[in-house]
Amino acid sequence: MTDPTDTLVNGDRIELRFPARGDLIVLARLVTSAISARAGFDIEELEDLRLAVGELCLLALHGSDALHGDLCLELTVLGDAIVVVCTLERAAAADVTGPEGDEIALLSEQILDALVDEHGRESRDGSVRAWLRKRRGGHAE
Amino acid sequence: MDQEFQIEERAGTAPPVIVVSGEIDVATAPQLRECLHRVIAQGEATIVLDLLGVTFLDSTALGVLVGALKRCREAGGDLHLVVADPRIVKIFEITGLTNVFTIADSLQAAGPS
Repeated sequence: MTDPTDTLVNGDRIELRFPARGDLIVLARLVTSAISARAGFDIEELEDLRLAVGELCLLALHGSDALHGDLCLELTVLGDAIVVVCTLERAAAADVTGPEGDEIALLSEQILDALVDEHGRESRDGSVRAWLRKRRGGHAE
Repeated sequence: MDQEFQIEERAGTAPPVIVVSGEIDVATAPQLRECLHRVIAQGEATIVLDLLGVTFLDSTALGVLVGALKRCREAGGDLHLVVADPRIVKIFEITGLTNVFTIADSLQAAGPS
């Protein structure tokens, strides 16, 4: 029998905020794994989400300054889906992804296209917001 | 916790073999880039990169591999990858890079002697 305290249900939301540094993206991946498991995603979907959220953070950081700003990750269970929003706040211009930055952003987009149902990225008022939505058992490559 | 990232250069093989294990992401990919660029700068145009122990790989890692592949080909050689984990193979497949890299599923198949 499933312990109700181990599961997440419709409307549950978890937030994680950390300094916007590439070496801390592992935290976003770890939290995503834990949340996805509690939201009922299977192992393969959980691995997909772990990779996708890492790419989401990279897209938010693309063109930003690694030494300033915070990354805020919001994971919300909505019905049979999880919605993840990654917001980069108070960022300045620079790049954390190295000399292959633009190429990496294209690869991130390709990976997200394949692994999640919907995703997007927008910049507004000095913040960058990247988001994804993935349904349980709902995405075929 | 995640497996620690490690790079090992194996001496005495032709082409040279670089063995990577753990997670290759935005935090660790620069170490891989530095290692590959150094080996190429030493005159090795063809390299075998053993990724059998890699447990996670993201777009920054792919970017480093594509950059190194370009350098190898400019020098007249190639970058051969050894990948067996289906989760890692899947990342190359969804980005179309299985058509770009020479990928083997074992070190023997990759051909170092």
